[in-house]
Amino acid sequence: MANPIIPDKSVVTTCAYCGVGCGFKAETHQGRLVRMTPWKEGKANHGHSCIKGRFAFDYYISDDRVTTPLIRASIDDPWTLVSWEKAIQHAASELRRVQAKYGTKSVGAISSSRCTNEEIFLVQKFARAVLGNNNIDNCARICHSPTQFGLSATVGWGAASQHFDSILQADVIMIVGANPTEGHPVFGSLMKRRVRQGAKLIVIDPRRTETVESAHIKADVHLSLRPGTNVAVLDSIAHVIVREKLYNEAFVRARCEWDEFERWTEFVSSDRYAPEVIGPTAGLDPELIRKAARLYASGPNSAIYYGLGVTEHSQGSTGVMCLGNLSLACGMLGREGVGVNPLRGQGNVQGGSCLGSWPHVFSGYRFVTDDEVRGSFEKDWGVTLDAEPGLRLPNMFDAALAGNFRGMFIMGEDPVQSDPNQNHIIEAMRQMECVVIQDLFLNETSKYAHVFLPGSSSLEKDGTFTSAERRVNRVRKVVEPLAGYQDWEIVVMLMNAMGYLATYDHAGQILDEIARLSPAYKGISFELLERIGSAQWPCDEAAPEGTEVLHREKFPRANGRGTFMLTEYVPTAERTNDTFPLLLTTGRILTQYNVGTQTRRTQNNRWHSEDVLEISAHDAHIRGIRDGERVKVSSRFGCTELKAKFSERVGSGIVYTTFHHAETRINVVTSDLSDWATNCPEYKVTAVEVVKVASEQTAKRAAKKKREHVVTA
Amino acid sequence: MSHKTAHAESPVPSRAVPLERLVVMANQIADFFSPYPPARRAEGIRNHLRTYWDPRMRQDLTEYIAAGGEGVSPAIVEGVRLLGSGPDPKGYYGPPKA
Amino acid sequence: MLWSELRDLKDDVDFGTPPRAGAEVTLTVDGHTISVPAGSSVMLAAAKAQRNIPKLCATDTLEAWGSCRLCLVEIEGRSGYPASCTTIVAEGMAVTTQSEQLQRLRKGVLELYLSDFPAEDVDGGWSEFHTALAQGGVTTHPYEPVETHLSTPVDVSNPYFLFDPAKCIVCNRCVRACEEIQGTFALTVQGRGFDSKVAAGQDQPFFESDCVSCGACVQTCPTQALIEKSLFEGDYIRG
Repeated sequence: MANPIIPDKSVVTTCAYCGVGCGFKAETHQGRLVRMTPWKEGKANHGHSCIKGRFAFDYYISDDRVTTPLIRASIDDPWTLVSWEKAIQHAASELRRVQAKYGTKSVGAISSSRCTNEEIFLVQKFARAVLGNNNIDNCARICHSPTQFGLSATVGWGAASQHFDSILQADVIMIVGANPTEGHPVFGSLMKRRVRQGAKLIVIDPRRTETVESAHIKADVHLSLRPGTNVAVLDSIAHVIVREKLYNEAFVRARCEWDEFERWTEFVSSDRYAPEVIGPTAGLDPELIRKAARLYASGPNSAIYYGLGVTEHSQGSTGVMCLGNLSLACGMLGREGVGVNPLRGQGNVQGGSCLGSWPHVFSGYRFVTDDEVRGSFEKDWGVTLDAEPGLRLPNMFDAALAGNFRGMFIMGEDPVQSDPNQNHIIEAMRQMECVVIQDLFLNETSKYAHVFLPGSSSLEKDGTFTSAERRVNRVRKVVEPLAGYQDWEIVVMLMNAMGYLATYDHAGQILDEIARLSPAYKGISFELLERIGSAQWPCDEAAPEGTEVLHREKFPRANGRGTFMLTEYVPTAERTNDTFPLLLTTGRILTQYNVGTQTRRTQNNRWHSEDVLEISAHDAHIRGIRDGERVKVSSRFGCTELKAKFSERVGSGIVYTTFHHAETRINVVTSDLSDWATNCPEYKVTAVEVVKVASEQTAKRAAKKKREHVVTA
Repeated sequence: MSHKTAHAESPVPSRAVPLERLVVMANQIADFFSPYPPARRAEGIRNHLRTYWDPRMRQDLTEYIAAGGEGVSPAIVEGVRLLGSGPDPKGYYGPPKA
Repeated sequence: MLWSELRDLKDDVDFGTPPRAGAEVTLTVDGHTISVPAGSSVMLAAAKAQRNIPKLCATDTLEAWGSCRLCLVEIEGRSGYPASCTTIVAEGMAVTTQSEQLQRLRKGVLELYLSDFPAEDVDGGWSEFHTALAQGGVTTHPYEPVETHLSTPVDVSNPYFLFDPAKCIVCNRCVRACEEIQGTFALTVQGRGFDSKVAAGQDQPFFESDCVSCGACVQTCPTQALIEKSLFEGDYIRG
């Protein structure tokens, strides 16, 4: 019989892949997940889906899942299987031992955007209230930390001003450093629907992405700028808007700080930002810059969507400010169809950002240095809290090498694979005396860990995710946790073992604590989400069911006004020269997800089984490289090998690769430069050289690898 | 804009971030605030260091500057000078206050 | 503009055609008075009046197509049997969704579809097609088919879903979903009449085509011709 299994149970939950936050019905048969179907009432997807959320769920029952806690005395020892009680006690006593020996601030914690709001909130509480310091960070550090900084500075909140459907009222769509059809596919489809209806499209991206041209879609303007010149180009766009008086003076007078606007107009109208000056710097036709500026300013509704192509630069925060400046100047905020919107990579990056997993702020982006805010947490948590900012993720590694950081709790992250300058991080990890990892799988980072606590996938727990449109969506338990506990329960056990009493009956009580301590989440509860499905923050008495569009009447700044930042273009120190003449930039592909922890364990590998280096035929030919050949990519930081693929998507002088496979080790190559404000790494610009790997060398290496396997087996 | 980086053998030992890196980070901050007039530039730098930097990083930088501060942008020196002076204003987002 | 079309969808109802926003228009469906926004289809009005009209090529996530001939209704003052999915409501319209003649017409359509569907998979199936068969009281057909699609090979190239042309009724929903919802335009209907068939890319296996495996076609297929492989224990065997 070819009739399919009839699922016997269906649970509405939220996709854990990208930041779009699609609603899904997880259908099970006899306790086993048999299918994920898109939920028609999902506010972000309206019944649509992409390959990852819809099909790539088998990772959760992968044979690689660790389901028993592991400990070891040294990273050179093999793991020992232990009970939960033993593992938790061991982790607790080791972290305390390290603190006793090296000081309160010698340990820290990292949470992940793969985790729920409740778990993220608990991990920062663990750092602040239990470890007693502010050494808490999360993976948004390496992706959207500049968003929080740059948007907070200009419009007041580091979050998308709109909801996704708002794009259906946009007349001009400007995509900067993002490739939604690959990275945020369901939003990409919505964007394409709008473009097919006639909206104009501006794409600012070094690559000729699918967003630039695909079936029935063609960007009206594609600024294929040189990686690293975002700020120059955006300032030049501003230059045109100011010089040609295309800005919205009435909006600026009514809604913004006029003095700062005047300073900004003076600044950007300088000749040094004229398209004729910036064009050659960025490798662009000056007329195209003018065209983009006029189109954006003409609207009437122009909406900006941007991604890591803006943030992952040494001027990432400045780039985000440029976008804030532009939207304020043209009055493109405070209504449907406009706005500035970060496209978030991970399911809960917005939540990670909102909920205080940062060394300098509590939930709601409120500074730890603020006595009043800190007081409210001290009162609720019953402990005195550190009044000084803690270390950021990259600085934790720096401090480890300096000898002042010796222990870490890492939940759901793999910094050794995902963070830049891998060799430096490995060196730092080796200095640690106690690394506790909570994850689904052993990974690159767990090679340097001492305790492994087996976590739960998003199918195995209750909680909430906050998507890129600020929407708090419910995550519901579909199947029982494979290792016995939901992630938040494990953190609670660790808190208790370290002497801090934490009692929650269910994840909803953690959400209640979040609501109690975070103004924007004040009205959010499991009850509300049960009743209305989802809600966008801010959600409070004034907006009991949440807020779809921000900044309608005023900006969340002290005086209620938007403001302008001066955004000087400072070329990155990472530059091409004779030794490293090409610029490497990185990105992702539809079928794989970030470092591939999940998708590499699914059939999605059939589409993308390895990362390849996209190179223009011209650059390849002058190096004697043929399509499909293995090449060595080297930078000032390290080198790796991968397969070359001729591509018309990249221009001459630029090479591109994805970073989904650990074997690629692309972060051995990427630089240690980072954003001036947030230390978000400059993944998008590395000067490299690409050479052909001689076949003889390849053979030798393969033979050596084989020998190594024999030795370690 | 670029500045000379600090020497590897620095007069003070690093507590958190290697001094060379700390100076690079500080000078990047100075570059950002460079379009602002001197008083605001210094205040912007002060606010940034105070609200974002671990105190050990601030202390290392302060001591490094006291010991000569080779390679450190003059704007940073001005900003760091404000760190210890007077009551500590609250952290804020947005343009440096006048 | 798309707005109500997406935001007014309901999980447990298929209105048959996309919800619209507009001034209310009042009509009667089988004697029940119902008000719906101008621009809505008769099919949607009937669904709102809980007088569900059988349908196959219509679904509320796609614009009406009008090819399956199952959703025919009678409208007072109009001749013939218009398709309710492509007929827009008008003030004072009186619609009849059930009559002997309609029942006869629908039965004829269903029997034709059934004659080219794997007979073994009629019982125990749970697709929209199976629901329509039940609704129309159709369990057998009078035809002695000369030609069927039952020998056309199943496309199992995609790791996640398969396409069994024997179950395809060429309603175009997959093609429209790929265009309207996903925007990839990877699917087409090739050929005419009996030879018409759904094809991926340049008549390639799904895996080798431009298909991005978003699942929109699988989601919308009313006959389970396109279906998740995860719903089968072991390999898919037709019939």
